[in-house]
Amino acid sequence: MIITMWKKEVESYFSSPLAYVLIGLFSFISGIIFFNLLVTYTDGIQAMPQGMSEQISFVEEVVLKFFANVNFLFLIFIPLITMKLFSEEKRLETLDLYWLAPTRDWQLVVAKALAALTLIGAMLVMTGVFPLVIWGIGIRDFSLLGTSYLAVLLNACAYISLGLFCSSISGNQIIAALLSVLGIMFLWMITWGGHLNSNYLVAEIFTYIGITSHFERVLRGILGTQDLIYYGSFVFTFGLLTVKSLGRRNW
Amino acid sequence: MDKILVVDKVTKEYPGRMAVSDLSFEVKQGSIHGFLGPNGAGKSTTMKMIAGMIPSSSGEIKLFGQTVSPDNRALRNQLGLLPENAPLYMDMKVEKYLQYVARLHEVKNVREQTDRVMEELSLTDVRGRLIGNLSKGYKQRVGIAQAIVYDAPFLMLDEPTNGLDPQTVVEVRDFIKKLSARKTILFSSHVLSEVEQLCDHITIIHKGKIRASGDLKDIHRKFRQGLVIKLGLGLGENLPDLSSFGKYDVTHHSTLSMEEQFMVTFESEADIRSDLGKFILNQGKKLMTLHIESPELEDIFLHMTENRK
Repeated sequence: MIITMWKKEVESYFSSPLAYVLIGLFSFISGIIFFNLLVTYTDGIQAMPQGMSEQISFVEEVVLKFFANVNFLFLIFIPLITMKLFSEEKRLETLDLYWLAPTRDWQLVVAKALAALTLIGAMLVMTGVFPLVIWGIGIRDFSLLGTSYLAVLLNACAYISLGLFCSSISGNQIIAALLSVLGIMFLWMITWGGHLNSNYLVAEIFTYIGITSHFERVLRGILGTQDLIYYGSFVFTFGLLTVKSLGRRNW
Repeated sequence: MDKILVVDKVTKEYPGRMAVSDLSFEVKQGSIHGFLGPNGAGKSTTMKMIAGMIPSSSGEIKLFGQTVSPDNRALRNQLGLLPENAPLYMDMKVEKYLQYVARLHEVKNVREQTDRVMEELSLTDVRGRLIGNLSKGYKQRVGIAQAIVYDAPFLMLDEPTNGLDPQTVVEVRDFIKKLSARKTILFSSHVLSEVEQLCDHITIIHKGKIRASGDLKDIHRKFRQGLVIKLGLGLGENLPDLSSFGKYDVTHHSTLSMEEQFMVTFESEADIRSDLGKFILNQGKKLMTLHIESPELEDIFLHMTENRK
């Protein structure tokens, strides 16, 4: 059943120009970012005295910064992807189809989340061209590339679950998107709040609740149980809230 | 099973508003049951409760002998619903959409079933078109198609002809009539002539309360208080004194091109046509028309909804 719903959602994305516009725009912006980082890196290497160039790490200067920027782009792109998932169905009253069918609410939530993740996957596939470019110019340092992709995918899962919840509580796409943007920004700000707080315990709690510390750990290949628990519980909590929010229909 | 649906003292209360109160009615197997009421009477709310989409505040709804609730998914393939706003995905093609709905209801032979339904509703020509680009009439047909594509034995149609052009209205009515051969149908409308044409049983609801429910003929009979006779006399003639037949009241008089027409209601229900005819002729009047008038559904409806404000 989930596959049937997922397929319908993916077809719905790709039957409208929005998916193509988003993929195109994402590829364009991420391309500019990658190019700038690469140019800055090569300029930096050339400016260094001979023999000192190894002090500038390609992974640090290009790979990690690139994926940190991708995470920043998600602030805009993921709310645009998730905003219509439930709010549009509410507006058109098409959710009635599911309430009349022997399906479960969680199946619909999972199908929609997977469809959004598929679109994000399609965007990230476009960035696969950048390692090829790196290979082409003779750089062979691909360490942390896999965990970097994993880090942005995990963040995407968290943002999608948040975006789905926002979409489920509003019948207006714009409001759903704004709520998602604010939610993601809040997740980032919690970490900053943790850095600024002088109380050790409070700072630690803030840092754990915020997404940034986990993202950075996974990005650098330090994928611990605490990060998996964090992402897992985050997605599960917002998934559950979305299911509960749908359960309150017309009550 | 005689009764497919039993609604027993059902109440739905929203904060600060009573949507429906103490509703009780039954729908018999194989019938087309008309659910009548003005806009805002509570028809859609009741239908959604029957479909298990929203819970009732109190009371019980039994469908096929099982209690309906939003958690009872076993009943969901047993019931088809066309809500007031058909749940259509405007960005999907007709065929794909119907196949999707069929899959949601775990239909086994999806293609055959959707082809059959499209054929029945004359949707085959538009099967490859986006729903959003269809006319209102076609959209409504797709809405009906989604309700029957999984072949549920009980069908609820919430104002299915609302806003359609006259030709489509006739087609939809004919189709509903055809469907009734194999399905039990609960059909809501505020178009009284439509209900009169299609339904054998009706329930009249007003301001969330049942005003009448049962066999249409019984309701007609029940509503008829006394005997209503339509009398046609020669042009310019007056109605003679009929008090020898008991208490009576002239409820309507109009002058037509060929006759003076009177609607006379007698308190007694005894069939006095023969004696009345003789009496009028003996009075030297020309008798053009004389027959018992059954009350129109419209009269019943207006009586039920206006007199009890």
